[in-house]
Amino acid sequence: MKDPFGGNQRRARFQALCQTLRPDLLRFAFWLSRDRALAEDVVQETMLRAWKAQDSLLDEGAAKPWFLTIIRREYARTFERKRFVTLDVDELVAKEEPTLAAADDQGLAELRAALFRLPDEYREPLVLQVLMGYSTTEIAAELGLSSAAVLTRLFRARKQLRVLCGEDTRLDPEE
Amino acid sequence: MMDCGQYRRSILADPHDDDAQMRLHVAGCHDCTAYTEQLLRFESRLDRALRVAAEVEDNRSPAVPPAAQAQAARARRLPRRWFAAAASVLLAAVVAGSLWLAAPGPSLAADVVSHMAGEPGAWARTDIPVPQPKLDKVLSEAHVRLRANAGLVSYASSCLFRGHVVPHLVVQTEAGPVTVMVLTHESSRTRVRFDEHGYRGVIVPIPGHGSLAVLERGPATDLEAVESVAARVQSAIDWTT
Repeated sequence: MKDPFGGNQRRARFQALCQTLRPDLLRFAFWLSRDRALAEDVVQETMLRAWKAQDSLLDEGAAKPWFLTIIRREYARTFERKRFVTLDVDELVAKEEPTLAAADDQGLAELRAALFRLPDEYREPLVLQVLMGYSTTEIAAELGLSSAAVLTRLFRARKQLRVLCGEDTRLDPEE
Repeated sequence: MMDCGQYRRSILADPHDDDAQMRLHVAGCHDCTAYTEQLLRFESRLDRALRVAAEVEDNRSPAVPPAAQAQAARARRLPRRWFAAAASVLLAAVVAGSLWLAAPGPSLAADVVSHMAGEPGAWARTDIPVPQPKLDKVLSEAHVRLRANAGLVSYASSCLFRGHVVPHLVVQTEAGPVTVMVLTHESSRTRVRFDEHGYRGVIVPIPGHGSLAVLERGPATDLEAVESVAARVQSAIDWTT
């Protein structure tokens, strides 16, 4: 059995992997939770759990999906613990304004705010596809959906996002 | 035969889909070509929008991350050796994460990755080489020649990158297409690996000639394979100035 962190380099390689992946993991957690502080906590907790479970990572090339799966589970746990009742998107946008702001591009900040307004079931596959480079099949496996369902969600995500951003949607197809 | 509605539903779900039927449709449809260009511009902005800053906030001590504080009580119940190892991972991740983002290399890497979003067609897996005259023209603009041992080059384009025209090449490997950008204007003092937004790669400093950016896309890419291509391409380049 292949052990990507075997031998004397085990800890160093795992540290290096965490360093490399952390920025994207934090971004993924942020778009999942729409809460910067929560995202940072989820990522830290994820790294602790990952360290403890590193023997289950058999292929270093699969590290990113492995970490993302842990993040999703960890976020779900946090969500269950905190039992959020209602979410006011305007409040979320205002709270995360420092993260959503784009100093030289107001349109980018508006696009980020529009992403906040997407339903979770549309935003998550979109982030996996665009930010993480996942294929439809990989998203389907991660989210436990069929490929057709993933494509439908991605289609609806972009369609809604384009409307929210005031894009020219005259040529957009009907569902 | 795919119609416009089918094409646009497909491209809206995955703007980088390289399906043969979609290529066939868009090649003969002016409206869908325009639609695709508009969508890819939006996609490029979407990619930028998702890349929020990922550095640690200033008001948080990197030495004692909040989650580590929350873990303190639990950690006391854990074996001391395990905690020491985990804490070192956290500390290294937080500190190095900050350094990683502050270093000059990643911003160059981020720009390279951002550039990729604008040329999805370059990533096709193929065994058809780019016509030699096209490759020669692209390389000559950067005062570069490429020997055959670089591998099969399937794509070559002169791209505007950070205010300079640079060669953007795609080399086919057994593991798939690997993109190489010859950045003669971008000096880099150290070799920098990156993993951002689905792209993994390396910036290789070339003393006196700028740097090479070599990258693959997809979550299962092998950075060692990317390094191997980088070494091969570097050895195959002749600098003509």
